[in-house]
Amino acid sequence: MSTAHSWTELRSSGRDLASLLAFRRAGLTASGHRRLRLMGLLVLALTVTAAVAPAYLGGDFPRKNSGNVLALLPSASLAFLLLATFTAVASAGGREVVPRDQAVAFPVSPTTDHLGALLLAPLNIAWIMQAWLLLGAASYALGPSRVWAYEIPVLLWIVAATALAQVAGWLAEGVRRGRHGIGIFRVLVVVFALALGSLIVTGRLAPVLDHSPTSRLLVLLLDTQAGYWWRWALGLLVLAAIGLAAVVVGAIPARWALQRPMREELRLESGHFPARPTAASDFVMMLRIDRAAVWRSVPLRRGMTVLAVMPGAVALAGDLEWRMLTVLPGLVASGGALLFGVNTWCLDGRGALWRDSLPVGPRTAFLSRVVVLMEVLLCSAALTLVLAALRAGRPTVPEAVALLCSTIVVVVQVIAAGMRWSIARPFAVDLRSARATPAPPVVMAGYSARLAVSTTFTGLAFSGLAELHDARYAVCAAVVFLCWSGWRLLRATRRWEDPAVRARVVATVAG
Amino acid sequence: MEDASDGAIRVEIKGLWVKFGAVAAVRGIDLTAYAGRATALLGRNGAGKSTTMRVLAGVIPPTEGVVRVDGLDVSEDLLAVKRLTGYCPDVGGLVPRATPWEHLQLAARLRRMEGWEDRAQDLLERFELGDAAHRVTSGFSHGMGRRLSVILACFHEPAVLLLDEPFDGVDPLGVEATLEVIADARARGAAVLVSTHLRDLAMQACENALVLRGGASVAELRAHELVGEEGAGVYRALLD
Repeated sequence: MSTAHSWTELRSSGRDLASLLAFRRAGLTASGHRRLRLMGLLVLALTVTAAVAPAYLGGDFPRKNSGNVLALLPSASLAFLLLATFTAVASAGGREVVPRDQAVAFPVSPTTDHLGALLLAPLNIAWIMQAWLLLGAASYALGPSRVWAYEIPVLLWIVAATALAQVAGWLAEGVRRGRHGIGIFRVLVVVFALALGSLIVTGRLAPVLDHSPTSRLLVLLLDTQAGYWWRWALGLLVLAAIGLAAVVVGAIPARWALQRPMREELRLESGHFPARPTAASDFVMMLRIDRAAVWRSVPLRRGMTVLAVMPGAVALAGDLEWRMLTVLPGLVASGGALLFGVNTWCLDGRGALWRDSLPVGPRTAFLSRVVVLMEVLLCSAALTLVLAALRAGRPTVPEAVALLCSTIVVVVQVIAAGMRWSIARPFAVDLRSARATPAPPVVMAGYSARLAVSTTFTGLAFSGLAELHDARYAVCAAVVFLCWSGWRLLRATRRWEDPAVRARVVATVAG
Repeated sequence: MEDASDGAIRVEIKGLWVKFGAVAAVRGIDLTAYAGRATALLGRNGAGKSTTMRVLAGVIPPTEGVVRVDGLDVSEDLLAVKRLTGYCPDVGGLVPRATPWEHLQLAARLRRMEGWEDRAQDLLERFELGDAAHRVTSGFSHGMGRRLSVILACFHEPAVLLLDEPFDGVDPLGVEATLEVIADARARGAAVLVSTHLRDLAMQACENALVLRGGASVAELRAHELVGEEGAGVYRALLD
């Protein structure tokens, strides 16, 4: 692809992307528009706060731990790149502005798709939190002098890292769609995991991180304090060039990947699933169909694998203490709910109408969906905790009890929220493609923020309780949390039992 | 449809209204369907055919009016009504990541069917889906999906068979098999309701037709009145 051709295509794709966004916006109600504007303003305000407030609110300057924060900044910058890359790889290159089945009538080019995925990448609470963390850490460590000057490179790094991650996402998806792609991809993942594991076991992780290329970013930030403005300006140019090049070049692997057949999806769809004996009860039969809907969906399988392994691997690398592990189940449960739990009836897809015409009580259908969601969340959380526990030593009784309580509480909390949202705001979604999400990207960002806030609060509460000497405090707190979530879940059940409400949900989900 | 009263009444709808917020999808429809008879629901898009079918299937509650299936009120005895009906929805109708066999297994379990496997296999073969019995339905073509939806509707030999657009995108062999299913249902005394835009096929399968427009019924006709070019003219006049 020549440079001139690239630019022409990029400009044309930019215009197409604007049209697709306008198409999406047209589907919003007046209140949806209002909510979107409010959410945008809120994120902007919080970003400015994250970038500026720590400079003024961290006490007198110079601060005694500024050096430590600065020393961690290159690792944090690298972690941001890794997180963005894992997200892009797990979501098969990134999200779609208009879902594939709806966009099929329009000539959407791979470059438009690439730009759309880039634009939607920040609509992810993990991405936003990491970005705020980078901005806040720089602000805290360098103080109120020349805030704008040192935050510009951080912002440019965030953009460049996201664009680079996008390129990696398309490359991984291209490999995965090859003839032996799934096998090759799995080998690559295992090699990466082994390399990381060996670094951790041999204690060489910290020295390697010290030599991370992102340490150049730290130099750039310090240039603003030393007054090396030429070097700073040159650094900005380099960062901007990296970002721009990644945006432009990303269109090439995007085209390569998107033109290849979706082998994993096709393999599942053409696969043979032998018959099993009829279940002994209505509930078990319903549960079996719901489980199949989860485990035979490519995005859900991929999502669950990433979810179960990633937080545990991070905890393993970070050598977290037991009392800090109480935050992990919330993180995993929130992520699990975002795979399908926030729009759980979409598992039936267009079969929702037929399924609702079957002679079975609505409570059985509801309970089956709750159980399948609970299984996914508990299994993912358990695997994460097993990984995280490998280096955490032996827990005290209050720590173990607090962790167990925290896990149960956040799982029930997330299920209650997911079931409520599934009834209040259903969407017709086909979870066939690995890029599919259970709700539109903006809605997903809202859900992920709400889940992150509530589960982090719960996790931190149990983290505090783990420090007390008596495990009974954690148990008592868990009972209170569970009563509250149980009541909300019961209310959602009653809503589902209303035929008018159910009809609306089922008709919407069936499309 | 006064001549149909030789069979028992299977479906009785009186003054049915269905509203979605401020929009009325069905406005006071009356309909009676008899055992052993097939009735076509005809009309343009948005006439209220599918909504009426959904009410009978127990998927949408009626806003006003009385809807009875074999004497049971859908508002009062929903589960019993669902046991009596077999429904082929107008859209999709299949759980994407379940196989046809799993669909049939679920239906058999919830309807307490014993020894259903032979009938299931026979139906799958008749509709030429035997080879795809254990593949997930998300890989099915539109026509395959329609054929499986018809199988699921008639599988348990319901007293009321509700087929919403059963011929849409279906090949001639599938159409033939669907017509056989309708004939079988009538022969065993079921009432059949068929909603379709394919007038000729509807008239082949049914002896009565109810034409809907804007959510209300505008005419009840015998099949022979809607056959051929003359019937096309009559039908066309009713749509405007």
